Amino acid sequence: MRLQNEQVARLEDYAYQIRRLSLEMITCGQWGHPGGSLSMAEIMAVLYFQVMKVDPKNPGLEERDRFFLSKAHASPALYATLALKGFFPIDDLYRYCQIGGIEGHTDMRRTKGLESSGGSLGMGLSIAVGAAWGVRKKELSQSRIYCLIGDGESSSGNIWEAAMAAGHYHLDNLVAILDYNKVMAKGFVWDEMAIEPVREKWEAFGWDVVEVDGHDIQELYDAFYRARWVMPRGKPIMVIAHTVKGRGIDKTEFNYKWHTQHPSPQETDEMLRELSLRYGKPEQGYSRLEG
Amino acid sequence: MSDKESTKNPQMREIFGQTLAELGQEHDDILVLDADLHTSTRISYFKEKYPERFIQVGIAEQNLFGIAAGLATVGYKPFPCTFASFVSRKSIDQFALSICFPELDVKVPGSYVGLPTSKAGASHNSFEDIAFMRTIPNLKVAAPGDPADMRAIMKTAYETPGPVYFRVVRYALPDIFGGDHVFEWGKGRLVREGSDVTLFGTGMMTDRCLKAAEMLAKENISAEVIHLASIKPIDEHMIIESVAKTGCAVTAENASIIAGFGAAVAEVLVENYPVPMKRIGIRDHWVDSGEIEELFQYYQMQPEDIAKAAVESIKLKESRL
Repeated sequence: MRLQNEQVARLEDYAYQIRRLSLEMITCGQWGHPGGSLSMAEIMAVLYFQVMKVDPKNPGLEERDRFFLSKAHASPALYATLALKGFFPIDDLYRYCQIGGIEGHTDMRRTKGLESSGGSLGMGLSIAVGAAWGVRKKELSQSRIYCLIGDGESSSGNIWEAAMAAGHYHLDNLVAILDYNKVMAKGFVWDEMAIEPVREKWEAFGWDVVEVDGHDIQELYDAFYRARWVMPRGKPIMVIAHTVKGRGIDKTEFNYKWHTQHPSPQETDEMLRELSLRYGKPEQGYSRLEG
Repeated sequence: MSDKESTKNPQMREIFGQTLAELGQEHDDILVLDADLHTSTRISYFKEKYPERFIQVGIAEQNLFGIAAGLATVGYKPFPCTFASFVSRKSIDQFALSICFPELDVKVPGSYVGLPTSKAGASHNSFEDIAFMRTIPNLKVAAPGDPADMRAIMKTAYETPGPVYFRVVRYALPDIFGGDHVFEWGKGRLVREGSDVTLFGTGMMTDRCLKAAEMLAKENISAEVIHLASIKPIDEHMIIESVAKTGCAVTAENASIIAGFGAAVAEVLVENYPVPMKRIGIRDHWVDSGEIEELFQYYQMQPEDIAKAAVESIKLKESRL
């Protein structure tokens, strides 16, 4: 299913804004994970602004789609997405990691639009499996469950326990996305704990697998469209999204040092100027450079 | 003395399994999850009656709690069931972060608590679960003392919003409370009045406190017995009120004394009304395999051990007078 050029441009703009806001949040909080937030921006944009049925005016709608962020350290990208979607004001983002503000990882009791709480890696796919089992039991046939996992957390046994159960229960209303950005906290995945052959692993666990360029809007949309309308045939679906850790800024790309490092306001100003030019936008620095 | 000899009641796991099936009949939002132990935990009764609401996850306890969390997010009230040692030692992070942190409506029975594990030994003996669970914010913790208490706790747990952990012992207990027994969070139960020492029991050890009180009575020592099924929240008022009368205390738990139930009582006392106290429970041991009653003897958790501790506590009190 081809998206129109205007739709692609609109989604690319959302991805751009998700990256900007993620970096601004991390700078305000002086804490966070830029690398994994920047790698998932297009995935978030396509899911929330083209694919998923969610309504910020009716967040508790029973027959909605649900998104679970397993790699919850990349919460800035999700928070930015939820704010852009209208779940809460953009200004709330600037209270990231501040007492009474937005939690560093994810706290579903605190922030509207979140479906789970997390931060300890490996857990999110199990929660998504439970939700997928539950909505199927409730016969909410229009609900889809999406879960974004990281390549680093794919060394966790909990991920594979969940993968086995999803295959066993034939949860074809479940779509997991692997943000395969190739870098974990302390180095490249293949050096720290290799996960290849990752496609074959998921297939062996009973999943249908599709691989895409995780920064290509059209490829992502095709994968989610197929997962929704073409592929459900008794198997959960894994979208392996090949991405670049720290995508959008030269010095953060594939650089494990930017997994957790937070930039200074001056660095953020430089990063955002680079980002705006890369996306063909008017040069725009850090809006809160002067505090 | 074996448990078969002490009461005609079935083991508490039977009461639990039957009550869960009864609750399942009343409430169709209850789902029961198993990690390949359903005949041991007795959730097999629920499985037989409601197979469509029974989920087998295999031997995957981390996934057990994650799936339960996900089911709760879509409106179910899941009971993920496994042995207590696996709840607290294998999957505590999933239970704490995925369920307790967001206050999800999940009810967790910890089966095979304490010494009675049918000779399974250290790997299956949960001595630490009370200590672990009571430090987790948003979580309520209970240990039933007899069949009526188990039924009341399970009914209350279902009706209580948020996460609950309750202990299920593989052991038969005599009736202490009547059929109209009601359980309330944070409320203790005075089961025997006395004036010389207070014996605080939780779970199966309240029965042993009562037996200890009978032994002490023969020596003209008047022991008060209080059952604290609700370990968290704990009945601070009743604890303080009782020791204000008796002046000393003994706690008894089928668990480690380190950071467990006795520690919870001690915290209340040292902050409000310090008195001499002794604790009965597992004393920093990995538990051996063995006959159940031999284990209680070996680890000095028999009624006579409670009685002996009571005498020591009274002596401490008198030495200060």
